[in-house]
Amino acid sequence: MTEKRFASLFLVPGGVWLLLLFVTPLVFLLAISFGYTDDLGEAIYSTRLGNYERLVDPDYLPVLFRSVGFAFAAVALCLLIGYPVAYYIAIFGGRWKNVLIALVVLPFFVNYLIRTYAWIAMLGDDGLVNGLLNTDVRFLNTPYAVIGGLVYGFLAFMILPVYAALDRMDPSLIEAGKDLYGGPWQTFRHVTWPHTIQGVLAGSVLVFLPAVGDFVSASLLGGPGEVMVGNLIQQQFQASDNWPFGAALTVAMMAFLMIFMLLYLRAAARETREATA
Amino acid sequence: MSTIESRPPAPTPATVAADAGRARGRPPKGFDRPRFLKLFMGVFFLFLFAPIVLVVLFSFNSSRSLQDFQGFSTRWYETFFDSESLRDSLIASLQIALITMVIATILGTLLAYGLVRARTRVSGGLNMLMLVPLVTPEIVAGASALLLFTQVKLELSLTTIILAHITFSISYVTVVVRARLAQLSREVEDASMDLGATRLQTFRLITLPALWPAVLAAGLLVFALSFDDFVLSFFTTGESPQPLPVRIWTQIRFGVRPTINAIGTFMLVISILSIGLALLLPRLFGRRESGLKVLLGREGA
Repeated sequence: MTEKRFASLFLVPGGVWLLLLFVTPLVFLLAISFGYTDDLGEAIYSTRLGNYERLVDPDYLPVLFRSVGFAFAAVALCLLIGYPVAYYIAIFGGRWKNVLIALVVLPFFVNYLIRTYAWIAMLGDDGLVNGLLNTDVRFLNTPYAVIGGLVYGFLAFMILPVYAALDRMDPSLIEAGKDLYGGPWQTFRHVTWPHTIQGVLAGSVLVFLPAVGDFVSASLLGGPGEVMVGNLIQQQFQASDNWPFGAALTVAMMAFLMIFMLLYLRAAARETREATA
Repeated sequence: MSTIESRPPAPTPATVAADAGRARGRPPKGFDRPRFLKLFMGVFFLFLFAPIVLVVLFSFNSSRSLQDFQGFSTRWYETFFDSESLRDSLIASLQIALITMVIATILGTLLAYGLVRARTRVSGGLNMLMLVPLVTPEIVAGASALLLFTQVKLELSLTTIILAHITFSISYVTVVVRARLAQLSREVEDASMDLGATRLQTFRLITLPALWPAVLAAGLLVFALSFDDFVLSFFTTGESPQPLPVRIWTQIRFGVRPTINAIGTFMLVISILSIGLALLLPRLFGRRESGLKVLLGREGA
């Protein structure tokens, strides 16, 4: 048996599993999104476009825009917070590098619900912050709270790829920039930033994708004015029991995110090819 | 550009000094170390850990209050463990995570080997497909899994949760194991075959032992992810027992409750134990590399 044949056998169990339990459900989802619910609430397959027409309904369109807006804001904030953190660890971390990165990653293994809940306890109307400061600020049920929840939830996805890019960069490049009379800002703009742009892009996509589909942050930290597409999908599949419409929302979201997914996948596949070549 | 990079730079006094500085663990000269960056790190870590410290601290509070700490007590842990349904949920969560870990690790490891060594057109496509779950929002995965299970008339239960979890864990294992596999030297395998071992024997006796640290680390990562997962479980769970995160969700919706602090702290300990073990694994195997590097693979995602 040639090595190719032998190794190909190893692809079968995982490949079949992914086809059956990942690809097939997505096909079902696409199919039911053209369906409707009958009088009994049963989802019926069909070829109607009604669910997609409902997406531009004034009830739903703002929700879609809001989701994208919140997710973009979360990406921007993650970059603003995550880049300096990654930079500090990669450049000045020294022998503490691994410890610092582990410290950054650690909180992300605390359950997302618990972490979000901790913010409720801290920022609630009679929460810790208002109690300590003796103020009466309304933090929760605002867009800021929801965006903050997303940032706190997905920040590690930004820091890790940016850190990896900075860590790979040859530090003498920065010195070279300085030797050529570049100021700190110029050196950053012309040397460091271009060298880490791949990491920034990867991090942005990795934050953006889960942020758009999130419903936990908006449910727990937001009010009725902060509903995101994830909340709509969750409602359709559970409380309202309108699966075809929920499926249409999901498919539309996936279609929109596809561009970003492909962007990331192409970069990841290229990197693997280089690494395993 | 590539010719410049491939040649080692001539040791100028500046680089020599920089290397010396690096060797002593100090950052090389010529770097700015703006003080504001240090301050920023302090504020960042405060922001990162304050909520978690709060949860842990108030899980030991003797009163219901989440504002002032009135004394040490374990009453919320007693409430947690005295509740039969919460105990069932904890056991359910552990079962799900364990079974997911075992099956996903096996499937993911085999897939990694196939992807690195087969290199056919099929493996190219599969490589792409394998990466898609990593970037698919969980709600899409949850909703579509729910749809599949109802279509094939599979009753929602722990089994459906496990099936959904495995599907989304395979890729993590494959990414971690593949990175390790790519670093292995092929010569040992070739030598083994020259000495008359079959391909299967070579895989079992040579390749697999070299992969163990990565395989185990990936398994522990999957355990932690599955144990913590909320969205997939939320969509695919049956009536009872429901895994802990789903119970937490229901409780939070009823308002802030001190028991949640105890459950959260307990889950935190389990996650940190499994991740800590994953990070330490390479050392246990006598390798001097960082577990973090093994876990993050080369792809950092």
